[in-house]
Amino acid sequence: MSGPFHTQLLNLACGLFVLTAVGVLWRRELSALIGLLTVQGVALTGIAALLAVDVGSGEAIAVATGVGILKAVLLPLLLRRVLRRVPEARETAPLVNVSASLLAAAALTLLAYAAARPLVALGPEPTAHAAPVGIAVLLIGFFLATTRRRAISQIIGVLLIDNGIAAVAFLATGGVPLVMELGVSVDLLLAVLVLQVLTTRLQAAFGDTDLDDLRELHDR
Amino acid sequence: MTPVAAALGGAFSMAAGGALAGLVTPARWRSAVVGAATAGVGIAGAIAGLAAVSGTGWQVRLPDLLPLAGVSLTVDAVGGWFLLLIGGVAAVVGVYTVGYTGQTGHGPAARGALALVPLFVAAMLLVPAAGSVSTFLLAWELMAVTSLLLMLAEHRHTPAVRTAGLWYAAMTQAGFVAVLLGLAWLAAAAGGESFDTIRDRAAQLSPLASSGVFLLCLAGFASKAGVVPLHPWLPRAHAEAPSHVSALMSAAMVKLGVYGIVRIAFDLLGGGPRWWWLLLGALGALSALYGILQAAVATDLKRLLAFSTSENVGLILLGLAAAGLLAGAGQFTVAGVAVAAALLHAANHAGFKTLLFCGAGSVLRATGTRDLDELGGLSRRMPATTVLVGVGVLGAAALPPGNGFISEWLLLQALLHRDPAGGTTLIIAAPVAVAVVALTAGVGVATYVKALGTGFLARPRSTKASDAVESPPTMLAGMGLAAAVCAGLAVFPAVTAPALDRVTSGLRVGSAPMQGGVDLQLAGVAASISPLWIAVGAVGLAVAVAAVARTTGRTRRRAAAWDCGDGPLTARMEYTSTSFAEPLQRVFDDVLAPEQDIDVTHPAESAYLVRTVEYRRRLPDRVEARLFGPLMTAVSSIGQAARGLATGSVHRYLAYMLTALVAVLIAGVFR
Repeated sequence: MSGPFHTQLLNLACGLFVLTAVGVLWRRELSALIGLLTVQGVALTGIAALLAVDVGSGEAIAVATGVGILKAVLLPLLLRRVLRRVPEARETAPLVNVSASLLAAAALTLLAYAAARPLVALGPEPTAHAAPVGIAVLLIGFFLATTRRRAISQIIGVLLIDNGIAAVAFLATGGVPLVMELGVSVDLLLAVLVLQVLTTRLQAAFGDTDLDDLRELHDR
Repeated sequence: MTPVAAALGGAFSMAAGGALAGLVTPARWRSAVVGAATAGVGIAGAIAGLAAVSGTGWQVRLPDLLPLAGVSLTVDAVGGWFLLLIGGVAAVVGVYTVGYTGQTGHGPAARGALALVPLFVAAMLLVPAAGSVSTFLLAWELMAVTSLLLMLAEHRHTPAVRTAGLWYAAMTQAGFVAVLLGLAWLAAAAGGESFDTIRDRAAQLSPLASSGVFLLCLAGFASKAGVVPLHPWLPRAHAEAPSHVSALMSAAMVKLGVYGIVRIAFDLLGGGPRWWWLLLGALGALSALYGILQAAVATDLKRLLAFSTSENVGLILLGLAAAGLLAGAGQFTVAGVAVAAALLHAANHAGFKTLLFCGAGSVLRATGTRDLDELGGLSRRMPATTVLVGVGVLGAAALPPGNGFISEWLLLQALLHRDPAGGTTLIIAAPVAVAVVALTAGVGVATYVKALGTGFLARPRSTKASDAVESPPTMLAGMGLAAAVCAGLAVFPAVTAPALDRVTSGLRVGSAPMQGGVDLQLAGVAASISPLWIAVGAVGLAVAVAAVARTTGRTRRRAAAWDCGDGPLTARMEYTSTSFAEPLQRVFDDVLAPEQDIDVTHPAESAYLVRTVEYRRRLPDRVEARLFGPLMTAVSSIGQAARGLATGSVHRYLAYMLTALVAVLIAGVFR
């Protein structure tokens, strides 16, 4: 299936994908962040599914299903479990305030589109044209991890980075082998599990999860 | 299947089997099994080398063994010579290891420390067999890593081992980076990474590329070969490594630095401008002189041997430099002699240095010390070891009828028999080189007389030395094998003539015009020598003098030696290593710059009487202090400054990463 409708759907998914990333910078309630991340996972699944329909192979459909289960169901569930144990509702004092963050996100998106020109020039397909979206989300995720204090925000930043990378992989190559996606997914799941443990320990040790409390971890 | 392939295949499978056996065999049998496997790897490697220098080359490409580049092996005569050398050393050291690390031995017998020995030998065999840049670099790195781990085997016992390991690790990695850059540049400029392609296209390289490649590779290979001023790792690592490892490192691994220079400069680049060879010769001369001077004043037996390694590598490089200059001037016959001298000296040095390091290991096992000042009198307690070390010392001192003499004689022939109309450079450089060789040989004799005389003769100067016990038979057997090879090379050097001929023609510097069975004749150069008759004459003369003295002299009577009437002679009155070298140290005071301290204490009654005199001497390595001191200060101050960047804040680290990413992307946009 290919045609203007298909392209429209793909663009919709990509738009949703980048919009949720910006939304994550905008909102301060941690539960809202998780909700936005779920929506983003759905958008990424949509991209993978559209590609799978495009290719029409069983492997691609399996990849899309796997991505959907992991990013839209499993990871948000894990994060909500962390949030229940760590009763912090809001990101109170980000290192960069929200309006400046949004401006930075605009600049980073601009940079992503500028830097991805060679990637776009690879082919005339709409998928290649959408590839900069992934890079933009990657940069926004990095920015989030750099400027937010709460541990959960940082995990979400890491997940945004991974979503960005996955989106670039899907859009630029037109499908990722199942083995590779499986490896990356398991890796990511493990990282989130470790971060979950770290967060609960942080809470137990300091009473909150401000990562700037961990300043002693350097050599003298 | 060609003989080279079969032998190399056997060597690598035996190495794998030996390593595995080292890991699983119980401690009681471990040394025997691993030693036998190492000897087997060595013998197989030597057979491969022998086949290759006899003219049967071998080439194979295994594209699936490694991703991207694959493995490509090419064994030609040049590689074969070094295979033979490494294989021979490993065979001897394998036998020696059985006793040295065994139940009554002294060396480390842990699983890892033994299992790595055959792997190290296999890695060394892989280096001259490599036929492409990627395979060569892989083998080189394998060799560096395995040797480092072996060297560190005793790191729990002495902190000096850890320091030595740090020096070695840093310098070998820096050298690897230099070689990596050089060979990557070469492969890129030649448009292919197999040695055959590079050889074909070397003539089209720009002068900048070929000189740059030469300099980078020279820096890397010279540091591996222990050439001054890139030598500081060598006396540390060779002194602190277990002795069987020291023998492998000094006799075999260091030669692969020489192999690298031969392969790149002569074979792949096909020679170069005159300044290359002058630089190489200057490095060689500096190493020879500085190495032997430091060896002459060293009191640590293994440090002495290590600095002597620098000296011998210097002589080898001098021969290679002379060959390059002579070939550049069109004098191919003499150039062939110079290359043959260098390669033969590499083999001779491998022979006697294996023997001497094994001997040092035996001394260390018997006495627990390497300090020559504390030794003495070992000839009574360890007669077999003393005789065997004596053979090695004869070779190392380059005196006839030792094997080192033959190759130094060849080197001098090459330097003296150049065409007088060969250009100003040669007219100046060759006599200077002759003087360097002569001075080196002279100081070398003093050094080795000191090593043998103060270490093994006279009376023991400590209880450690007086309680020494002779080594077990396997150690003596290993040393005996090495001594036999040294003697063979000393008396029948002409057996190497056909092999050297093939190697030098493979290097395109003209064939080595050596001929002869008993006599060694240089065709095209009016020179010949008869090592067998020299040996027979020397032995015959000694026997004749002894016999004449016995029969016609006065009858022998036993009496106390003259002791100036001051009580019985004690070991305190002997020459120690320090006192023997003291005159030399005075002569070369400006070069060595020793730090001396004399403390005289007087009794309370009178300042004219002396109660004790205390003499302390330290001989810091000046080249190291001047060259590496500032470098290390600079590096550590940069490191200190960089610590300010790492405050411990996670956000700051993430910000660094984001900034770097954004900077790279921006650079990409405005490219």
